[in-house]
Amino acid sequence: MRAGLLLAFLAPAALACELPGGAAQQVKSAATTVVYRTPALKVGEHFAVEFAVCPAPESVRVDAWMPEHRHGMNYKPSVVALGAGRYRADGLMFHMGGRWEFVFEVRSGGKTERLAHSVRLE
Amino acid sequence: MRRGLAVLLLAAAQVAQAFSDAEVRAIAGHGPWPPAFKADPSNRVSGNKEAIDLGERLFFERRLSSNGEHSCSRCHLPERNWTDGEARARGLALTDRNTPSLNNVRLHRWFGWDGAHDSLWSQAIRPILDAKEMGSSAAQVAKLVREDADYACRYRKVFGTPVLDDDKVLVDVAKALAAFQETVMSARTPFDEFRDALVKGDKAGIAKYPESAQRGLQIFIGKGSCNICHVGPAFTNGEFHDTGIAFFIEPGRVDPGRHEGIKKVLSSPYNLLGKYSDDMARSSATGTRHVVLEHRNFGEFKTPSLRNLALTAPYMHNGRLATLRDVVDHYSNISPDRLHSDGEAILKPLKLSDRETRDLVAFLESLQDGGGNYKRKAFAADCR
Repeated sequence: MRAGLLLAFLAPAALACELPGGAAQQVKSAATTVVYRTPALKVGEHFAVEFAVCPAPESVRVDAWMPEHRHGMNYKPSVVALGAGRYRADGLMFHMGGRWEFVFEVRSGGKTERLAHSVRLE
Repeated sequence: MRRGLAVLLLAAAQVAQAFSDAEVRAIAGHGPWPPAFKADPSNRVSGNKEAIDLGERLFFERRLSSNGEHSCSRCHLPERNWTDGEARARGLALTDRNTPSLNNVRLHRWFGWDGAHDSLWSQAIRPILDAKEMGSSAAQVAKLVREDADYACRYRKVFGTPVLDDDKVLVDVAKALAAFQETVMSARTPFDEFRDALVKGDKAGIAKYPESAQRGLQIFIGKGSCNICHVGPAFTNGEFHDTGIAFFIEPGRVDPGRHEGIKKVLSSPYNLLGKYSDDMARSSATGTRHVVLEHRNFGEFKTPSLRNLALTAPYMHNGRLATLRDVVDHYSNISPDRLHSDGEAILKPLKLSDRETRDLVAFLESLQDGGGNYKRKAFAADCR
């Protein structure tokens, strides 16, 4: 009974997937949640993405592409683990306006899952 | 008189109504102009007045070349909007590419049609050493600066050291040249006046912009989608694209464009990750650190700025198109078969009518400031 109460008390905190500092975008699959935040995006300017992956994966890669234009970025982001399932990806750049799709490739339990999220850049 | 004013205001209101909110936002994104100066952190003399003066002298200095006849200004003529009017540049020999204008060059991220350089100063080294351009060497450049008393004096004042190591002098000369080229900026244009008037809701100001240019602007940001790559106040995203221009230089010889440019910049001792950059934090090297080489980069060339475009004919990386009309016709009739099958799916034939073509050209012509803002000086050897 006491163990059950403790689990119930801890569960919401353990499942919460968030970044310090509030508002962020969220992408979910059945097994994985990614929350990410970018600065205000501008065409032709490098930017970094802060993100968290829950549950914490073995590894994660970030990329982005323009599905309608059939091309990706001209730069390969580097990902640094900040601990506790949080990461920072540097070196991204959207070099055109239009619809871009962020892609998070999350590897856990020997499997790779791909979570995508669209943004529109004017 | 009152009736005339009413008609004018009505006309202005009608013109203003011709642009949707989304179009106004798109147009506003092409300004304001000019942008504020930001010093280049990789060049410790960027924005330094004495370095600009030294760089200006060196820009016109023919003794930097192996035969004493070529200077930077031989191809980048101020009177020709900092280009030469030739299809392909000719230094000591004919090169493979068109001379890009230096106007607004400080706003670029990559330099040269293939982006083989990641700073203005490292780009300035290339033509000095290139056998087809100035054919010089670090030793020759250092000898000039060391033995010419006026240059030696100015070098000491700018860099705080006597002329020592040849390679370091070559880099410092390039940094002074870059400091000067950072000052080469085009002035405001009829488009800028219109853009600002539109943002402010100044109907009289809006009405001064020719209707043909307004229609051309609507094509530029609408049907033509030209602003996908020609973005921002400088009308370029600073990146690279295959635009269907043949990259054969002559039978059996091709210009690989960005594909080779990425290899060159990553292997250059003068890149922003190397020892010659003055940006110790390497904050300006993000692009160099993360740029990635892909097969699709073959035959890609840099998106040029469109400011003062009408003054820089002929066009494209190899000067293949003679007039602005030819450029618009190229995009109007482009064959998708000419583009990489694994490349971007962006360009489609615009199929513009004759009037639409004339309107788009009228808009592009409204991006010029008239040129001729730079006046050549007589340089006195008076450094003390």
